[in-house]
Amino acid sequence: MTDDGPSTRTVLLALAVVTVAAVAPTLVAARPANEIPVEEDPPDAEALAEPAGDAWGRVPAADVALASAESSVPNAEDTSVEAVTVRAAQTDGSLFVRLSWDDATADAFTPGAENRTPDVTTFWDAAAIQLPANTSAHPGIAMGSDRTMVNVWYWSAPNTSQELLAGGPGTTTPVGDPAVQTSASYEDGTWHVVFERTLQVDDAGENRTTIEGERDVDVALAVWNGSNAERSGQKAVSEWQYFPLGPGAEGPPYATILWIVAGLAIAVVIVATVLGVQRT
Amino acid sequence: MSSDSQETETETQTGTESGAGATVELADGVEHQVAMVMDLNKCIGCQTCTVACKTLWTEGGGREYMYWNNVETKPGRGYPRDWEEKGGGFESAEQANQEDVHGEREVGELPSAEDWGRPWEFNHEDVMYDGSDESLRPQGPEPEWGPNWDEDQGAGEFPNSYYFYLPRICNHCTHPSCAEACPRKALYKREEDGIVLVDQERCRGYRYCVEGCPYNKVHFNVLSKKSEKCIFCYPRKEAEGPDDEVRPPACATECPPQLRLVGFLDDEDGPIYKLVEEWEVALRLHPEFHTEPNVYYVPPFAPPQHDDEGETVGVERIPRTYLEELFGEQVHEALDTIERERERVERGGESELMELLTTTDMAEQYRLEAFE
Repeated sequence: MTDDGPSTRTVLLALAVVTVAAVAPTLVAARPANEIPVEEDPPDAEALAEPAGDAWGRVPAADVALASAESSVPNAEDTSVEAVTVRAAQTDGSLFVRLSWDDATADAFTPGAENRTPDVTTFWDAAAIQLPANTSAHPGIAMGSDRTMVNVWYWSAPNTSQELLAGGPGTTTPVGDPAVQTSASYEDGTWHVVFERTLQVDDAGENRTTIEGERDVDVALAVWNGSNAERSGQKAVSEWQYFPLGPGAEGPPYATILWIVAGLAIAVVIVATVLGVQRT
Repeated sequence: MSSDSQETETETQTGTESGAGATVELADGVEHQVAMVMDLNKCIGCQTCTVACKTLWTEGGGREYMYWNNVETKPGRGYPRDWEEKGGGFESAEQANQEDVHGEREVGELPSAEDWGRPWEFNHEDVMYDGSDESLRPQGPEPEWGPNWDEDQGAGEFPNSYYFYLPRICNHCTHPSCAEACPRKALYKREEDGIVLVDQERCRGYRYCVEGCPYNKVHFNVLSKKSEKCIFCYPRKEAEGPDDEVRPPACATECPPQLRLVGFLDDEDGPIYKLVEEWEVALRLHPEFHTEPNVYYVPPFAPPQHDDEGETVGVERIPRTYLEELFGEQVHEALDTIERERERVERGGESELMELLTTTDMAEQYRLEAFE
């Protein structure tokens, strides 16, 4: 090692490190935390309403952790579903969201999925998607409030779906003329439930969430396990996530800038370290 | 129940005793409170009340298993089975260290379909119309329990066995724990008369009310997926029948021995107020549940015990301790009062209490128009 300064080989190595550090992160499919990707016009889009259909295999998935919701109902902390896999796809007319989760018992009326005759102690499996009624507002995670309402898409295993409006716990009220349809399947211990919402709705922004590509849409998820007597506030819920439906659907533009800055910083540190070692 | 809390209960009740201008305490926001007194000495266990209620309100549509009015044998496990042990209601204020009418709500247990008793399907068609030689019996799995499974079983040993009948409806409590249990406030007390109802639009079938009612008088309809309960026949009270007449609940009017008085607790000229507040002989069932029922019972008497020779001995047939379990410590004073007044009449004297308990005047017995 000499004191003549960096050799040609060292300069080339430094340049290579800088290039890789700056470019590589942008090539990786990095996804911001809490983002649930929305696939636009996937192949076989007409088959998205089939919960276990192949069309869903080509839609990227996000695994979302669930935890017991904070609630005043008895046994609120006793929930059993710990994660839900979410896939979302958008076509010209609709947003499709599929929730999939493991549940060893199907508590349902669904043909082929009954495990017992429903009676007075039967509770049904259920799932829900919660969105701010007004996408520019940020409602509390627990069903919003009377000023920041939430639009809830609800499915329960007797194969019923409802579109609900809520302004805090215990206030869910069905919205007339629902714009949400659901379909569900249960196979090998896994529920797949597809929610389909038409993009164009009459009263978007008031009682119904606007999904027209103007902005990202916050979303939270809930699952109830009927055989654990889960109902009402006894449910497994997620934190707020979001669908990147706003401008720049590839992800927020600042992400690339941040990656480049970080990459350059790392490269500078590496080069400085190498040079420092050579000089000593 | 501890003796301390019982004393407080008694104090509360004597605190509302009739005096000059004294009034009963009603639930917040309730103008008048409907109430019923049932004289258990008159009940013959014929179930006419049960059938009257069933044919009016719960014949089908997921209600087959429901008896909004039932009559059970006591001692006995009741309907639903062992309801007295399934919890619900409130702690006492003392238990919760509160200066309130009651303490924290206690979460109860959801009775199973077997506890209620499955509605049996009978082979009526085969036996009645198709000439089958089979006996008429429930079809399907052999039943192992049902309403009235232990009818007339009672307790004690010959010749001193004993039982009595206990008709039960929703108590339309002053502090209904069913309503408090509902996170959606789907159950509510009507302002005008304190009747407790389930708003079928608000109900989402969570069943916290079913497990929250310590008397197990809220039922779940599997078909509508909503809770349902005794409505105190409010359409009859509101003269919604074809003849526009105000009528008391069907369980009361159809009763052959006419053991029920129907009116308002706060109608100070009515027999209910007098029996509950003045004479203190009509008592709440299980006051230790702290929901403050508005159905009251005149406790039962039975002939005294016999010895082996069939001679009467001076021991009460229905143990006071058992009646105390059902009606609280006040039962002693209530039974003593009735006995005293009965003897007064036997001696040729007059007794307002005996008049109240033996009236055949329908206008006195049913006073649902007292405030109109």
